Amino acid sequence: MSGSLHDVKNDIWMKTVLISVGLLFAGIAAYAVLAEGIGSVKHHDWEDAHHELEEIEAEWDTANETGTLEEKEAASDKWSDAHHADIDAHLSYLTWSTAGKTIMVMFIIYAAFYGIAGFFNSIQPEEEHHDDHGDDHEEHHGSASPILMAGGILLFMMGFPGFVTTCKAWLGLDYDPEMSGFMLSAIGAMITIMGIGNWWNEDLKGHPEQIATSDPFKGQDIRKAGMWIFLISETMVFASFFSSYLRMRTGWCTQWAVNAGKCDVVDTYTASDYLRPGGATGTGDFWTLLPGGINTFALIISSYTIVLALKTAKNVNWEPSKNALMARLFPTRKQAVRNYLLITVALGSLFIVLKLIEWSHLIAEGFTIDSQAGSIFYVATGAHGLHVFIGLLVMLFMVFKADTVGYDEENGQGIEYFGLYWHFVDLAWVAIFPAFYLY
Amino acid sequence: MSEHKYTGPIAGIFQKMADLIGKDVYYVNFLILMFFTLFEIAAVFFETVPGTDIEITRDAVWAILIVVGIIKGYGIAAFFMHLKGDPFIYTRTALFPILFAALMLWGIGLSNPDGIDGLPSWCTPNYDYSYVTD
Repeated sequence: MSGSLHDVKNDIWMKTVLISVGLLFAGIAAYAVLAEGIGSVKHHDWEDAHHELEEIEAEWDTANETGTLEEKEAASDKWSDAHHADIDAHLSYLTWSTAGKTIMVMFIIYAAFYGIAGFFNSIQPEEEHHDDHGDDHEEHHGSASPILMAGGILLFMMGFPGFVTTCKAWLGLDYDPEMSGFMLSAIGAMITIMGIGNWWNEDLKGHPEQIATSDPFKGQDIRKAGMWIFLISETMVFASFFSSYLRMRTGWCTQWAVNAGKCDVVDTYTASDYLRPGGATGTGDFWTLLPGGINTFALIISSYTIVLALKTAKNVNWEPSKNALMARLFPTRKQAVRNYLLITVALGSLFIVLKLIEWSHLIAEGFTIDSQAGSIFYVATGAHGLHVFIGLLVMLFMVFKADTVGYDEENGQGIEYFGLYWHFVDLAWVAIFPAFYLY
Repeated sequence: MSEHKYTGPIAGIFQKMADLIGKDVYYVNFLILMFFTLFEIAAVFFETVPGTDIEITRDAVWAILIVVGIIKGYGIAAFFMHLKGDPFIYTRTALFPILFAALMLWGIGLSNPDGIDGLPSWCTPNYDYSYVTD
């Protein structure tokens, strides 16, 4: 039986409450600098470019009515340049604005999880310590977390339409706020986070690893077997996205299909037509493919950093690197594990930010969810992005645990089991990236 | 975990490469994943093989994306997810949904009205194509 019990006081959770305040300020600062600061400068540039485009359009109209052929061609070229400048300025504004807003929202959610879960755990009464923990005859105590989370998610989803409508109204769109739905959703979110926080607290204090006693997993850690069963269901979720995509894709007349002689006229533009150089819309180049490319590398690197975190946690003979920079970044085994996990969180967060920047560009170029191609693209890549984000929320706790009780050869399997999920998310991207971005 | 020595036709190659450069298999796997990701992006990015006039055809891109996907999938599942080295029950568990996923994809192909007459005959045994001709 592996696993360990840590004598952790509940007031240690006040640390997460303080971190949540820091995260909140960091999110607001990122929004102020990126969206309001640089974003507003870029917005002015876009307005200027758009104004110039309108002037050139007027010149072109005049040339078309009274000009010579050369003048018409010159006006047409000038309009084309101004049009591209207008698009570039718009996309540049969207990049900064979306980055600022995404970082702020992500940090607010991080802060909510750390703040609410931390506060809830810190006010819990201390349990009396029993010496018989770890005994083979110990009775396993059930956890209230799953039912709390399930109830919270139920309320959240019940109020979700009102939540979305209210958020749209607050963003200045033409909607009436539905406060009852919003409040129901907010209460559901609070209960969900409290359930998760309770789970975090139970895991922080440690528990003996339970071993399966019957086939086919006899002798294996139940948590590991459970994680693999969970991943089976996840495989089917993504398989349904892929089969839907294939079903639609084989019926579309895309540029690929025209080139292959399967049909004559392009009737559908896919995301890759917008993103990939040589795509049918002509908008794709190195820069449009770049966010997807960086995201692919970010996920692979993050898969490796989580492997390094596990390897470091399990290595009883760990020593700091002889390289001065590495020794400074990873001075002790405990800090090395925490920092590898922090790097993983940073790379995952980068993935989300770049994904939303890319979405904002695609939507601005007309690739919206109201088409078949857009619908399957946003649903499949959005579901994947949601998986990445849920992984990041789990990692928030793992960073805290690595920083407080620490991971070692006794409890490092927690990183291994989470790593299975994270690698699965990477594996799903291995299929999504070529299918939706490159093909 | 780092003490484990991988054997077998493919995992053995990873292990030999790791021994050659004095690093562990995870590091070699990471480098291979990075290289092949770069390779698949380049295959789409360039219309001809750099430095030549050889066109990268649609079929070539298809082949590259599928082969690279399989290599990357193997690297992540075998080494990062520890299927190589863990008891075989986990590999069996991981392979279990493949059957259902394959059935879904096959069924989906047949469900496509435009796909019926476009599929190879072995996909549609004893099908009289009355649906298409009607």
